Amino acid sequence: MRFLTSWRVAAPLSVVLALVGGCAASGDSEPAATASAAGPVAFTNCGTSVTVPSPPARAVTMNQSATEIMLALGLEDRMAGTAYLDDEVLPEYAAAYAKVPVLAEEYPSKEKLLELAPDFVYGSFSSAFGDEGAGDRADWQKLGVGTYISAAGCPKETRPAKLAIDDVFAEIREIAAIFGVADRAETLIAGQKQRIVDVSAGAKGTGVLWWDNGTDAPSAGACCGSPAMIMSAAGVTNIFDDLTGNWADTNWETVVERNPDVIVLIDASWDTAAAKQAFLEKHPALKDLPAVKGKRYVTLPFSSTSAGVRNVLAVEALARGVGGVSS
Amino acid sequence: MVAAVVVLAGGLVLSVAAAVTVGPADLSLGTVWLVITGHLGLTSADVPLLRDHIVWELRLPRVLGAALVGAGLAACGAVMQTVTRNPLADPYLLGVSSGASLGAVAVLVLGLGAGAAALTGGAFVGALAAFAVVVAAAGRRAVLRPTRVVLAGVAVAQLCAALTTFVIIWAAHPHATQSITFWLSGSLARVDWTALGWATPLLAAGFAVILRCARALNAFAFGEEAAAALGVDVGRVRWLLLVTTALLTAVLVSISGAIGFVGLILPHAVRRFTGPDHRRLLPVVVLAGAIFLIWVDTAARTLFEPRELPVGVLTALIGVPAFVLLLRRGDRNT
Repeated sequence: MRFLTSWRVAAPLSVVLALVGGCAASGDSEPAATASAAGPVAFTNCGTSVTVPSPPARAVTMNQSATEIMLALGLEDRMAGTAYLDDEVLPEYAAAYAKVPVLAEEYPSKEKLLELAPDFVYGSFSSAFGDEGAGDRADWQKLGVGTYISAAGCPKETRPAKLAIDDVFAEIREIAAIFGVADRAETLIAGQKQRIVDVSAGAKGTGVLWWDNGTDAPSAGACCGSPAMIMSAAGVTNIFDDLTGNWADTNWETVVERNPDVIVLIDASWDTAAAKQAFLEKHPALKDLPAVKGKRYVTLPFSSTSAGVRNVLAVEALARGVGGVSS
Repeated sequence: MVAAVVVLAGGLVLSVAAAVTVGPADLSLGTVWLVITGHLGLTSADVPLLRDHIVWELRLPRVLGAALVGAGLAACGAVMQTVTRNPLADPYLLGVSSGASLGAVAVLVLGLGAGAAALTGGAFVGALAAFAVVVAAAGRRAVLRPTRVVLAGVAVAQLCAALTTFVIIWAAHPHATQSITFWLSGSLARVDWTALGWATPLLAAGFAVILRCARALNAFAFGEEAAAALGVDVGRVRWLLLVTTALLTAVLVSISGAIGFVGLILPHAVRRFTGPDHRRLLPVVVLAGAIFLIWVDTAARTLFEPRELPVGVLTALIGVPAFVLLLRRGDRNT
C-alpha cells in the first residue's frame, strides 16, 4: 500500500521506474530514522550520533554518489553546493545538477564550506571529513550542522562487515527521512530492486575476476565491499571471494589458476579499461586465459561501483554482459 | 675461498630450483619440472597451457629476476660502502632510486606512454637524470669527492621525493595510488623474460667491471693517499665505479622498484665471513644477495597467498632487525 501512496510523490522524478506487481515488498525494513517533515531526526551514522533539527535546506554533497542520491530523491532545491565528481552526472539528473553550484573539482576546503553556511554535509567516504576535506564531523555537529557518510565509506570499525545492496537502500531511506521525503525513497528503491530482479537470474555460477587497477599485483574485488555487493546482486561468483576487505592486492598466478569465465575491467580516467585489455592481451601468461582469448570482458565505469544509485547500472551491465557471453 | 663460492653457487642453483616449485597456484613438483625440462627441450611433456604459463611465464622469470636483483643490490652496496668510505652507503645513495621513482610515477600518473615498458623506461630515464644532476652538482673539473657526491645525492633524493609526492597529490586519484605504492615499495612481480633479456647483459657487464676493480677497491679501503701510493689512479677508478654502480642501480630499480636494505645489510653480513678483501667479498656477496632475495620474494608471494606483499616491505622487516643486531655487535670491518 505504501507503494501506491508513494507514487503520487514520486511522479515528478525523472527516473523511469518499472513498477511491476509484487515489488512493493521493498518496505520490509523500516528507515533507521523516523520520517517527519517538521521535527528533529536523530540517527547514528558510522558510530557517530547526529541530530538534524529540521529538514536541511542548504545541504552540501562532497562526493558523486552522495550528490546523485540527493538528485535521485529530487532534492536539488535543498542543495547549496556539490563537489568531487568521478564521472559525468547521470543524464537523467543533469538538468537538476546544473542548478547546484559546484564548489570544487575535488574536496572543497573547510574555509570554503564555512563561507557557504551549509546546514548538512553529506559525503560518500570518510575522507570527505578528513584533513583534505570538511574536517572533523564533531566540529560541524557543534555548529549545529548535520553530517552523513555512506555506510560503505565508514571507517573500517563501523563499516558493514559485508556490504549488501540493502545497505545502499538503507542509506537512501535515511537521507530521505532526514529531508522529510521518505516516500520518494520507497519508490526509488522499489524500482531499483525490480531492475536487479529482472537481470540477475541468468548469471548464476559464472566465475568473475573484478580487476580494479594495478598491473604488478592486480587489485581485485574481494569479499566484502561494493565490488562484491555488485557481483552478488548480479548473481555471479567472485573468484576472489576468499580475500578479506573491499579490494585486495593479489597476483596473476592465482588468476591463471582460478581461470575466470569473465573479467570485469573497471574503467577510470586513471586506469582505463582499454589499457587493461591491452595489458591482458599482451601478457605472456594471461593472453591464453580463455576469458582473454574469447574477449569475455565486462567494462564498468568506476563511478558505478561506489555505493549509490548507480550500482543498479553496474549490476545490469554485469548480469547482461555475463549472460551474453556464457550462454 | 673457492670452496665457499662453489658451495654458494650450488646453493643458488638449488634455491632457484626449489623456489620455482613454490607459489600460490597448487602445482605438483612433477608438473613444475615437466614444464621446465619441456621448455629446455629435454622432455616432451603434455602440460595444460595455463599451468605451463604459471611456471614458465610467471614463476621462473620472477625467481631469476629475484636472483639478479639481489645479486646486483648486494654488489652495488659493497662497492658504494668502500668508494664513499661510508658504512651506511647503499645502492640508492646517489639519488638514483628517487629519480627512478619520480620517472615511474610521472609515467603512471601523468599517463606518459603506456604499459609496463613505459614505466620501466620512465624509471630508467629518471634514474639516469637524477645521477646526472648529482654529478653536475658535485663534480668539479672531473674530480668526484665522496663527501660532495654523497651530499649532492642526498639533496637530489630529497628533491625527487618531494616532486614525486607533488605529482601523486596533484594528479593521482586517491583510488589510483595502489599501483604506485606497490611499485615504490619494490616488487619483482613485473619481471618477465623481456626484462631479463635486456637487464642480464647489462648487469653482467657491470659485475665484470666491479670484479676487475676488486684490487683497487682494497686500496680505497686504506684511504686515498694510500691508494694513490699503491699506484691506483684514484680519480679515474672512483669515476668508473660510481658511474658503474649508478647504471647498475638504474637497471635494477627500473625492473623492480627500490628494494631496501639488501644492498645495505648483505655486504656487512658477508664481510663477517670473508673479511674486507674485495677479491673474496665481491663473489660471495653477489651469490649471497641472489639467494637471499630469491627466498624473501618467495615469502612475499606465498606468505599470505593469494594476497601479495611488495618484497621491499619484507626486506625491510627482515633487514632492520638484522642491521640492529650488526650494530650492537659492532662491525670491526668498516
